[in-house]
Amino acid sequence: MPDPHAFVLFGATGDLASRRVFPALYQLWRTDLLPHEFRVVAVGRRPYDDATFREEVRAALDRHSRVAPESSRVEPFLERVEYQRADFADDAAFDRLAARLDAIDAAHGTAGDRLYYLATQPTAFPVVVGQLGRCGLDHETHGGGWRRVVVEKPFGRDLDSAHRLNREVAKVFRESQVYRIDHYLGKETVRNLLVFRFGNGIFEPLWNRRYVDHVQITVAESLGMEGRGAFYEETGAARDILQNHLLQLLTLVAMEPPATFEADALRDEKVKVLRAVGDFTPERVGRDVVRGQYGAGWVEARAVAGYRDEAEVDPESETETFVAARLEIDDWRWSGVPFYLRTGKRLPKRASEIAIQFREVPHRLFRGTAADPEPNLLAIRVQPDEGILLRFGSKVPGLGLDIRTVTMDFTYGSAFATDSPDAYETLILDAMLGDASLFTRADEVEAAWRIATPIIDRWLNLPAPTFPDYAAGTWGPPAADALIERDGRRWRRI
Amino acid sequence: MAIETTAAPGIPVLRWSSRARTIPDIEAELGRIWSSTNLTVPGPEGEERHVAARTSVLNLVVVATRPEIGEHAAAIVSQLAGRHPSRTLIVSSADPDGPSWLDARIQAHCMLPRADAAETCAELIYLAAGGESGRHLQAIVAPLLVHDLPVTLWWPGDPPLGGRAMRELAALADVLIVDGSSWSGDGLDRLARLADLVDDPRLEIVDFGLLRQSRWREAIASAFDLPELQPFVRSIRSMSVTYGSHAGGTANVVKPVYHVSWLASRLGLTVREPLVPESGGGYRATLRSGTRVVPAALRPVESTLPAGTTLAVELVAERRGGGLRVEVTADGEAVVVRATPDGERPIERRFAAARRTEVELLAEAIETVGSDRVARGALRAAAELAGAGSAVG
Repeated sequence: MPDPHAFVLFGATGDLASRRVFPALYQLWRTDLLPHEFRVVAVGRRPYDDATFREEVRAALDRHSRVAPESSRVEPFLERVEYQRADFADDAAFDRLAARLDAIDAAHGTAGDRLYYLATQPTAFPVVVGQLGRCGLDHETHGGGWRRVVVEKPFGRDLDSAHRLNREVAKVFRESQVYRIDHYLGKETVRNLLVFRFGNGIFEPLWNRRYVDHVQITVAESLGMEGRGAFYEETGAARDILQNHLLQLLTLVAMEPPATFEADALRDEKVKVLRAVGDFTPERVGRDVVRGQYGAGWVEARAVAGYRDEAEVDPESETETFVAARLEIDDWRWSGVPFYLRTGKRLPKRASEIAIQFREVPHRLFRGTAADPEPNLLAIRVQPDEGILLRFGSKVPGLGLDIRTVTMDFTYGSAFATDSPDAYETLILDAMLGDASLFTRADEVEAAWRIATPIIDRWLNLPAPTFPDYAAGTWGPPAADALIERDGRRWRRI
Repeated sequence: MAIETTAAPGIPVLRWSSRARTIPDIEAELGRIWSSTNLTVPGPEGEERHVAARTSVLNLVVVATRPEIGEHAAAIVSQLAGRHPSRTLIVSSADPDGPSWLDARIQAHCMLPRADAAETCAELIYLAAGGESGRHLQAIVAPLLVHDLPVTLWWPGDPPLGGRAMRELAALADVLIVDGSSWSGDGLDRLARLADLVDDPRLEIVDFGLLRQSRWREAIASAFDLPELQPFVRSIRSMSVTYGSHAGGTANVVKPVYHVSWLASRLGLTVREPLVPESGGGYRATLRSGTRVVPAALRPVESTLPAGTTLAVELVAERRGGGLRVEVTADGEAVVVRATPDGERPIERRFAAARRTEVELLAEAIETVGSDRVARGALRAAAELAGAGSAVG
């Protein structure tokens, strides 16, 4: 159970707060994972008072809570929510916030422990952090009062801006106080990946270039812009998914076993992976990275518009909605093993997975049978149907020697009777507990941008691509197939 | 909703039934079936028994152009539930000019493998799509496939071979099942259009029409079992297939064509001239092996049997002055092979050849593992005989 503390939410009237943060806080509260002496101070620009804002939170819980809110649990939760109106540039507002937090400490025994959650536009990060520093709200005191700040992605737009942001944050907070959220790391299967790799003896000996042919990591979304066109125009798939989710999944698959299960030991190993990814020279971007943009099509039984016809999107937009890349990790474990990464919007289904494709057997004893068995495959499904699947060949029952590929399938939903927590519940609780294992460190963010930035820069210097180049409801542009097929491999059909 | 019914060993029962109108709602219903803690049934002693396992060895997608085709397919699939539990999607489209809509009936059918075992269940989803949505069935099917299981696409009736709808659905599939012998007209046009799919290395094509002929093929091959007759197999000079026809009607000749195409592909004969209609009825084609030309004929004979039913296959072989005539004929539920070397008495053998049910054919199609080179060769040659590569009408 976390210490009694004040949870200070900046951007409290925004979409992220209502969709993710408040439902997660309520779920933690409902399941008795938060202390009785727990307060939320919601900070926003809109003219609410405590009572009107609580009604907003109640409505958000009704809409977005994964478990139907129960009145007996909601009311005490809402009683702990306060609203502080503040313009982030307004010094006086932050002075009032500081006074309010002191009052909360005195009234509710929160002892100066504070978790600041920045659910704001990225441009507001340095402003809010600066204000917190100016008011001394970052200061941890001997004998009580921890102060932590949670920062939502994106952490910058490129390597330079990420470096600048890290420097601004570091002027106020020590790195150990900073929790950079990539919500993918809070997903149950992603966390289980560490347990799977390092808690089981039989897989790790196979987890290397000797046995693994290649790895595919897919983050597929069936959704389009859903009202986020303006944001996406400035972002694109490389910034939105490749730089963070995909590379984070890559690090967890490829990292060496850490010496301990502590935050810095884990993150040290993840950074090593990112640093071992070869540089994306302009030639390599042209050869090993494919971008695409969806046109109109059909997804999940609905006709959907092309990207350029989405609201708030430039009709001539060159923003990529699809990225596929071939990476190699230059270390002893993975040298020569390609990692194929892909992500896209408006693909046929929402599905994220990591697939470890093992090599063929060294001698194909059953070559003459009706079906030569396919090489083994281990698929770790991140969403939906979170679980792990192992594919192997098996003899078909009968007198002949026919071989069929079968799967051994572990699904969280059917193996455990309890629901998995939402990623935000996991990560917020971890931040409250001071466990930074699943948060991204400054050097890790910059190492990821070191990979993504040359790709984005190169695209800026190339002639305009012939977008759209894939229809909504298909698995991306033909060039993505060519990227992997030139190596004699194919994208998995998932 | 969960339905409480006691299952008997080996007999599937409907255990869950619900409705949904969007893909996310269908996915949510499927999730509810297997995560529902209420999905328990009374056991033989009245005790509460959990439905233990979802079983699937494949995704079976059935395109039902009419509701009765869907019900018929579901009845066939249910008989295979124990041996080949699958997630079955029966998809149909309606009212193409109306607004788009989707209606899904989601069912879980369960059975006890043994009286003392836990129930195993498989899902059956009827998907009906209206308006423009019904023209993009792949957008409905793709998100509902169970990952990492093979996808078998079964298109009863007249599949739109060469069309966009078929191409898009076939792109999702590992195996395509058709029944060429049920196609409308003489079937040659569709057979020719099969050519593109036959050459797709990612797709295995199973034609019930070809499967139904397997006993005939065994019988024909058996004619050359005897060592003294074996050399004739490379010296076929002509072949003809006699099939049943009805006065005034057009017979589907896909099955007769498969006899010729199978022989051609196994004997290394190429199609010199594809099938053309004969003025007196029937068709002729020319095959060749090097410089040797082998005429092939399809001959109709009025019959009370279904039009297109193979009645006889006749082969004539010659080598070094000697000759061999092989006649294979249908005789009720049997096939009779009569091989007559020049100047000798006929050698006769009889093979049981009971007509196979669609359940048996589907089971065999599902059990198809890997690439069947013989079938692929026969299908490719059949497509060429039907005019693939030349002007196809």
